[in-house]
Amino acid sequence: MASVRPVKLDINGKEKTLSLEPRVTLLDALREHLHMTGTKKGCDQGQCGACTVHVDGQRVLACLTLAVQSEGSAITTIEGLAGPDGTPHPVQQAFIEEDAFQCGYCTPGQIMSAVACIREGRAGSDDEIREFMAGNLCRCGAYPNIVSAVRKAAEATA
Amino acid sequence: MTLIEPRVKHGDASDGTTPSGPLGREIVRTDGPLKVQGAATYALEHQLEGLLHCVIVQSTVGAGRIVAVDRSAAEASPGVRLVLDAGYSLMLRSQPDFFGNKPEGDDYTPFATDIHHNGEIVAAVVADTLEQAQAAAQRVRVEVEFGPVIATHDDPRAGHGNPVPLDKDWGDPDGALAEAPVVLKATYETPREYNVPIEPHGLIAHWEADDRLTIYEPSQWVDGMANHYATWFGLPFENVRVVSPFVGGGFGSKGQALPHSAVAAIAARMLRRPVKLAVSRPQTFTAYGGRPATRQRLKLGATEEGQLLAIDHDGSNETAANAAFIETLGIVTSMMYAVPNFRSRQRIVPVNTVTPGAFRAPGKNPSAFALECAMDELAVELGLDPVELRLRNEPDVDPETGKPWSSRRLREAYAAGADAFGWTQRNPVPRSMREGRQLIGWGMACGTHPVYSSPGEAMVRILADGSVEVLSSAIDMGTGTYTILAQTAADALGVPVEQVTTKLGDSRLPRAPVAGGSQLANLMTAAVHTTALAAREELIALGLTDPNSPLRDRANTLIIADGRIAPPSGEGISIAELMAAIGRDVLEVTRDTLPRKERSSAERLKFFTTLGGMERGTSIPKSRHSFCTHFVEVRVDEDFGTIRVSRVVSALDAGRLYNPKLADSQFKGGIVMGIGMALLEEGITDPRNGRILSANLADYRIPTNADIPHIETISVGIPDYDATLLGGKAVGELAIVGVAPAIANAVFHATGKRIRRLPITLESLM
Amino acid sequence: MMNFDYSRATSLEEAATLARHPGAMLLAGGTTLLDLAKCEVARPERVIDLTRLPGLNTITVGESGATIGALATMSRVADDHGIQRRYPAIAESLLLAASAQLRNMATIGGNLLQRTRCPYFRDPAGYPACNKRDPGTGCSAIGGITRDHAVLGTSDHCIAVYPGDLAVALSALGATIQTNLRAIEIEAFFLMPGATPERETVLERGEIITAIAVPATPLAANSTYLKVRDRQSYEFAAASAAVGLELDSDGVTIRDIRVALGGIATKPWRAIAVEDALRGRRLDEGTVREASRTAVDGAKSHGGNAYKIELAPCVVARAILKAGGIQ
Repeated sequence: MASVRPVKLDINGKEKTLSLEPRVTLLDALREHLHMTGTKKGCDQGQCGACTVHVDGQRVLACLTLAVQSEGSAITTIEGLAGPDGTPHPVQQAFIEEDAFQCGYCTPGQIMSAVACIREGRAGSDDEIREFMAGNLCRCGAYPNIVSAVRKAAEATA
Repeated sequence: MTLIEPRVKHGDASDGTTPSGPLGREIVRTDGPLKVQGAATYALEHQLEGLLHCVIVQSTVGAGRIVAVDRSAAEASPGVRLVLDAGYSLMLRSQPDFFGNKPEGDDYTPFATDIHHNGEIVAAVVADTLEQAQAAAQRVRVEVEFGPVIATHDDPRAGHGNPVPLDKDWGDPDGALAEAPVVLKATYETPREYNVPIEPHGLIAHWEADDRLTIYEPSQWVDGMANHYATWFGLPFENVRVVSPFVGGGFGSKGQALPHSAVAAIAARMLRRPVKLAVSRPQTFTAYGGRPATRQRLKLGATEEGQLLAIDHDGSNETAANAAFIETLGIVTSMMYAVPNFRSRQRIVPVNTVTPGAFRAPGKNPSAFALECAMDELAVELGLDPVELRLRNEPDVDPETGKPWSSRRLREAYAAGADAFGWTQRNPVPRSMREGRQLIGWGMACGTHPVYSSPGEAMVRILADGSVEVLSSAIDMGTGTYTILAQTAADALGVPVEQVTTKLGDSRLPRAPVAGGSQLANLMTAAVHTTALAAREELIALGLTDPNSPLRDRANTLIIADGRIAPPSGEGISIAELMAAIGRDVLEVTRDTLPRKERSSAERLKFFTTLGGMERGTSIPKSRHSFCTHFVEVRVDEDFGTIRVSRVVSALDAGRLYNPKLADSQFKGGIVMGIGMALLEEGITDPRNGRILSANLADYRIPTNADIPHIETISVGIPDYDATLLGGKAVGELAIVGVAPAIANAVFHATGKRIRRLPITLESLM
Repeated sequence: MMNFDYSRATSLEEAATLARHPGAMLLAGGTTLLDLAKCEVARPERVIDLTRLPGLNTITVGESGATIGALATMSRVADDHGIQRRYPAIAESLLLAASAQLRNMATIGGNLLQRTRCPYFRDPAGYPACNKRDPGTGCSAIGGITRDHAVLGTSDHCIAVYPGDLAVALSALGATIQTNLRAIEIEAFFLMPGATPERETVLERGEIITAIAVPATPLAANSTYLKVRDRQSYEFAAASAAVGLELDSDGVTIRDIRVALGGIATKPWRAIAVEDALRGRRLDEGTVREASRTAVDGAKSHGGNAYKIELAPCVVARAILKAGGIQ
């Protein structure tokens, strides 16, 4: 049976080498092995979106991705979203201004999803934003403000 | 209709006052930057050396007795350090839970031997890695002697339940109902509903010494939980530290230490290593109970003109087979409308479920569902507009206590909400409004929440650089505590809010009661205000009297504004300059709002670690409540029965809002949760074995972004200084109350079908 | 989740060889495999990662038909302009499924093979009896809570519903599944549970889906997918229908029609009786509603799912009307 093996991950432009069993998910590799806890675990079964990260520019769920499967891909997490000088991403800024979160736990996933949503050209109307942000659950019910924040960021980056 | 002309600001929940200081201003969340960067540290994210991972094993039967637990296969699994069960664990000291349920005997173990519900903890595995612990947990074999399962209160064997002492009686309801020209009788039901904060439950337990325990756990009440651990392990309260700087949502579910909390602390103790226990999402559905299923029978008697003559209310909720939980179903029924004859009874029905628990607006929420649907039914029966019916029964004083209201701006809320919604355009006939294949329904209902208040304590520190720290063990679960306490201190001290930082969520800090009952904002702003004023007085005294103060003897008093301290006329200096001149590194003041006579340390502890300190209003001369009304539009597909909420306008009276931007977020959040309650959320239980079949976020459906329309909130509150020191009333739990009945009433208007059992799913409308 | 070996296949042949080992499971998007491994329903000993196999993710839309590589993700197919124009039902069925993140992960081949959402199937600890998961153990769903279970194609051994959307659209459009060994018409690809509910498709061990071929037809170009569910998004169908409709030059006579249903049957369910009842008839609401009733011929309720028998004909009718431009 397989034991640990070296796994090289490219996370936020930095190469990280870990010793992992094949069954370790990208989410647990980030949180438990790399102590990068910005990516959240809300359900661990693909039903809430809190673990959303970008793999090769696409938003995906880290809980249903094996870490070993991500070797050779560029991974971006919430920690890698701000500019090199620490300037917040326009979506991060919009989330603060629009009060698009309360407890903050789903927020990194919402923001990673929103950045991709805008990039995909799916932020054209409030209804389109609602549908294409539907994979990120928020129990505090910040949805109306999330829609405002995504719209604002989309307009700012248009 | 006799609506009052609205005179409020539309579009957001600004309270209409124009604050001069920082308190009451719409500033962004001070903890926002950390949260959007993923840099806010939640409980399970604290990094400790030598951390081990614990996974619990839950029972898969609903009732019975454990005959044997075979730990051997799990113990032999790779990386496993420890396998615990009832036969191999530490015995703790028993203590009552939040609601006064005390396990039998003096000893307590979180591991079951007699199974009372499906999903009860029977074992736990600790291993080096999470994956190892998860895999080994699958290999624990539990042999059970099956017992008979009564899964829900729908099972006829559950019976009618046991009465609880919440009787409310006045007048002669039977006589009044017998003679009432119009009588409405109906039964309303709500299902099991779960808090499901997106951060699941879990903790890290760390024994720093044999008699010192540190717990990192999401908490709505660090002092109460610290006390719980201290009792379990026979430690002095001071020896337990609970750390919870950020809480990923709670909604009532994170107020107390739970059985899995004990498991982690036991494992850490036995292994002398820090142990992390993450409750999996499916496990959360039985790790904490959520709102119990409820059933309410209502009889309303009224005159032809719509004057209420009598209310007869009989409610029941499910509880656990081995513990009592009361969802106070008559709580809104008894105070919402002027009614001369009244009776309310309540029972609890034991079934094989985990003990239910607090979930946003416990009691208030299902209570209003029944009453507000019944009022709508009565309005239909009488041919009256539902707003008009409510206005005709608006009570001048609290009908239950006879006390005057501290404030009750429900008339203003009806007016403002109806105006913004365009309610006068409503054709009252059901199925009269449509667009293509969509039936359109407009409905409304009211909500309310009491103002509770406990004492609080805070420390204010003025530092050498003129910056200010506010410290309290109070927590912020997205409710805005960090922000509004900074605003409060800035306001009272006279410094810019940017100069204030708030530290929360650590039981080593000055004490605070539970963040529940929507009490925390009011009581902690009061405590911080009191403390900051004292700090201000002290600073001014130093400025006037310290031998090295440049302001000494320049005036009889000093004024602090914008971070500068000055005589009433003339130039001043910055606080930092004053601190430097008098040679102080820090000025530190701690104050509390405990009743004057209760000052012993035992009394202090009791106030902050039990619910005993929660003032429910008996000794207060005014009846204190927040109020709201919701106007809702739904669209129902005539073929499919699918329901979409397409518009919501809510007008809310929550008194003064300390930060309208953040209060508005909580209002909207409550409305969103109310939409889920009305249309989606249902804990589905297998009647054969009491297992929760919807124990995940796909099958326990909470609303997605796509389910939520534009929501307009209007604050009609004004500062209510009879309610609280700084004029606020209940905010966090207010807005969910009344949403579900407003939607049910709108669904009736759209379809002509009256649905009295939540959630209203598509098949109920086909 | 038990530990497993992991290897990345570098060629289809290698993947097929590795996949023949007992205990081997193929990994594409991972959204089903990892989910089921966490539930302990899937217990792979060896996971063979197909995602880096070259040449299996191309989408070709031509005059005679479209070929979609098995490793193309749901989102790429949904966003393909050729697919959107010539096979709108495919694009719509994909966009109404799962969430944006899952659509970026899940592949077309894997999507077809997604497993049922039956809560008894997904809970081996709570329900040891499940014929689909552990043949011969019984069915826990029968006699249990069945709101989401199938009313068509069930047996005494299994009533689990096929949860997917795309396969419903593909059934309506007459797609062919290409594997490393053969081409299989979609009608023949999915199996009804009968006495062997563990066997859901005709795929043999070591057989790997390589592409999906869809013929270009006028009805494919005028097709639609309608999905009904309680939640507005991110939920499986209570009932769904895919319809391809071709009208005569008069604009009102139905020249050809194909209909398939989802969310109500143990496999993507072709509604041939509806098609036969409408071919050559006039497209009007009364006719369509009458014909749509036959969509649930032979349906059997298990209690909680009875509503699906009422709902499905409405969904079919509305999908046909939508394809015919009658909103």
